[in-house]
Amino acid sequence: MFVISKREFFSLFKSIKSIIIIAILLATAYYSSKFSNALTNLVDFTADEMNYVHTIGLLSLLLLFGQLFVLGLSHDCINRETHERTMRFLVTRTSRLSILFGKFLGIVLFWTVCVTISFLIISIFARQFDFFSFFQVMSLLIYQISLTILLSTIIPKPGITMFLGILLGIAFPIFGMWITFTSNEWVSWLKYITPFYYLEHDNYLFLIINLLAAFLLFISAAIFTRREF
Amino acid sequence: MIAIETNQLRKSYGAHQVVKGIDLVIEKGEVFGFLGRNGAGKSTFINMLTGIIRPTSGTFSLLGVHGSVEKVKKRVGVMPDYSTFYESLTAFDHLKFLSALSGKPTGKQHCMAVLRSVGLDEHAHVKTSKFSFGMKKKLGIAQAIIHDPELIFLDEPTSGLDAESVLHIHKLIRDLKERGKTIFMTSHNLDEVEKVCTRIAIMKEGKVGKIGTMEELRTFYRSTLTVTVKHSPMSKGDQHTMMEWLQSVGTDVSAADSQVTLTLDHEKKIAEVIRAFNQKKIDVYRVSVDEPSLEEIFLEE
Repeated sequence: MFVISKREFFSLFKSIKSIIIIAILLATAYYSSKFSNALTNLVDFTADEMNYVHTIGLLSLLLLFGQLFVLGLSHDCINRETHERTMRFLVTRTSRLSILFGKFLGIVLFWTVCVTISFLIISIFARQFDFFSFFQVMSLLIYQISLTILLSTIIPKPGITMFLGILLGIAFPIFGMWITFTSNEWVSWLKYITPFYYLEHDNYLFLIINLLAAFLLFISAAIFTRREF
Repeated sequence: MIAIETNQLRKSYGAHQVVKGIDLVIEKGEVFGFLGRNGAGKSTFINMLTGIIRPTSGTFSLLGVHGSVEKVKKRVGVMPDYSTFYESLTAFDHLKFLSALSGKPTGKQHCMAVLRSVGLDEHAHVKTSKFSFGMKKKLGIAQAIIHDPELIFLDEPTSGLDAESVLHIHKLIRDLKERGKTIFMTSHNLDEVEKVCTRIAIMKEGKVGKIGTMEELRTFYRSTLTVTVKHSPMSKGDQHTMMEWLQSVGTDVSAADSQVTLTLDHEKKIAEVIRAFNQKKIDVYRVSVDEPSLEEIFLEE
């Protein structure tokens, strides 16, 4: 599992897409916290607001574009290997669960590094490391990574996941935000299976997002262990 | 000890049965050749044993472990029929990665030795995107043996290779056999199977026909031998007597230019024929015996 996660982790740093996304993340972290810093000198924020003012830029970026970023980088993490038949080298050497969780771990590690660096930049301006927001962001990303792995497991062709990735990456946050705040009874129950509802609350309810992610991974594992290559 | 044992192993895709209940026992240390035409089900059979696909029904055991491929994966090497590699990695990187994945990370020297054994050492640090079909085949074999497995599956290991590379791979297979490895290989190349395999099975339309050594297959498929005897010139009287006698021990007897050809039903009769020539004071220069080739057996099957 760790051999696969190590390979996945390093290969994510090698594409131009990942460099662009890292640059966007770091630039957002730097400029939003710099702007927030300037804003705190002009506006009187409450103590609660002061806790979020520096991280709000990064959190908003990942709420709106996180799914697009994760799908953009990892939409083919499983199906590329199936499509090009390199999966045969993996499944004849190690267990299928090790492959799936190895991939998951590698992608999570990549995003943990990116988000940690972003939060360290923010902490320079905020003069504190906002652990609560950090774990909120990581929970959101873990959900998005699990959804990406599920898509890549279900859909065998990388071309289709790339297309769906763009559609889903744009539509998912819009739809997620809408059902979080809508009063329409027919669809509002769906808010419980998206991460946005749990992030809206300023408490540890966001930990439920990790349970949703575990459920998505469980479905992926159930499909992947039955798949033929 | 049994390396591979299958019991009524079947694979179906919808109504189409690709493998129709195969029972097979392969002992440790054997080089087992699996012959068959395209679409006979050879690769499907290997894919079931190596965990690439799941059997529809039936059971099998590898290296004495029943029911699960997972427990023996680290002791098994597989060269799939269709080898594609990570294009951004070199041959050396592949071996490093795949050996680590097998739980037996290997050093530079071992990787280079394995690449040398398949004739790829000069291309160790070339990305596989620049590899030819033949080079990919060789790397496919190298990755199958990099973690020193006890049981090796080779699916068409030499198809598409040049004559020199084929000899190289045959030598490698013999070396692996000498080191006690069990090899299960499929091939279209009858000559290759005849040269390197200790036992052979012929698969046709999802079923396995006769299984045995080359000798056993020959005995099974043809019980007659065609013998040609080249001899010194003989008188017309001797020739007449000899022809009469030869017709009594064999069939299809023909004679021309101090050469007699006949068909015998047992190899012991060859000695009788030579003795008869000697008794007539006729020198025997050469005796050749034509046995059924694997090609003939294959076509007959």
